[in-house]
Amino acid sequence: MDGIHDMGGMHGFGRVPVEAEEVFTHEWQRRSFALADALAWTVPFNADQHRHAIERLAPGDYLTIDYFEKWARACQMLMQEAGVASAEELATGRKSFDPDLGEHGKPPDAATVRRVMPRGAQLMFPPDTAEPAFRVGQRVRVRDMHVPGHTRAPRYVRLREGVIERDLGVFQFADAMARGDGPDPQHCYTVAFAAQDLWGAEAEPRGRVFLDLWEAYLDPA
Amino acid sequence: MPHDHHDHDPLEEGAALRVRALEELSVAKGLVDPAALDAIVEYYERETGPRNGAAVVARAWSDPAYRDWLLRDGTAAIADMGFTGFQGEHMRVVENTEEVHNVIVCTLCSCYPWPVLGLPPTWYKSAAYRARVVREPRAVLAEFGLELPETTEIRVWDSTAEIRYLVLPRRPAGTDALDADALAALVTRNGMVGTAAL
Repeated sequence: MDGIHDMGGMHGFGRVPVEAEEVFTHEWQRRSFALADALAWTVPFNADQHRHAIERLAPGDYLTIDYFEKWARACQMLMQEAGVASAEELATGRKSFDPDLGEHGKPPDAATVRRVMPRGAQLMFPPDTAEPAFRVGQRVRVRDMHVPGHTRAPRYVRLREGVIERDLGVFQFADAMARGDGPDPQHCYTVAFAAQDLWGAEAEPRGRVFLDLWEAYLDPA
Repeated sequence: MPHDHHDHDPLEEGAALRVRALEELSVAKGLVDPAALDAIVEYYERETGPRNGAAVVARAWSDPAYRDWLLRDGTAAIADMGFTGFQGEHMRVVENTEEVHNVIVCTLCSCYPWPVLGLPPTWYKSAAYRARVVREPRAVLAEFGLELPETTEIRVWDSTAEIRYLVLPRRPAGTDALDADALAALVTRNGMVGTAAL
């Protein structure tokens, strides 16, 4: 979606808060982080759906509320949409009905999450799952898309030309994962853009910006 | 240690109440096991973090064959050190040289290589960093105190898909006699994101 989260290149945010080195400053931020991880198993939702829920916050809220409060609000949104909690329950913290957890059954215990965290997610598919449409060195142009759902092609590269720097292989497609449409596996590429092609003559003459872009975002230039 | 040092900030209290209600409700509904929440926090705070990345960098500085492997197949070379998991399933390591300086960002959210760097610091998630480092990296790096020669090519890596990036910083001069542990102590988080030189 063309939302406030798509910040690359925007003006007006001032200096970078370089001294803000901390990860957590409050205990509730730790709990919010862990809740998002744990709820993903049982609500359930995937990382792309959680990212998209954060993107769907009102722009003013996105800019002003704490990062880990956004994570919690996204969980609340996804729980309501999955039908496992009501708005009233989320406001009070008091249960009024038992959700049907279906095949997910009971939540993972400490030993289970401990075993899975070092393994991570399966994001990639065998190379023969899809033929690549582009080759390294080829010039490509990012499509002019205005996807109302989740997408990972930032505005600042749309309609811009770059060069395929690396074929990363076949990955699940974030746009489809966020819609709950399954993985739609396809090649993903690292694409190199000249800074001046993105930002004009004032940009670094030799600077480059690299993005990882799924095949569905690209056309031959 | 956790420390709630803000005095009665109503926004902060609202967020704390919201998260407490979310946890209580989720436990009551059987959606989460509180012991699993503790295990998640403990895992990311104790077993991930910049010291993992520093160990990778120190080994690459000490062992040319490992450095080559790391640059060619970051995922496998980092897994060889035992650093794997969510937000690090697919890793690429980019090397700083005399000619090239690399810096990492996620303009769309906060993607960051958790197994080797832990969770991102607040500045990495800030609107100013995300908005500006792709457009004016040299000015942003100067705010971190890093002034690069005009001749240095700056490469910005925007983590828009499933690859997570780690910068291999340049080895500081005068460190030839140091072993890997002593080298790792010189490596900072910002050095591995590309907002500092070592």
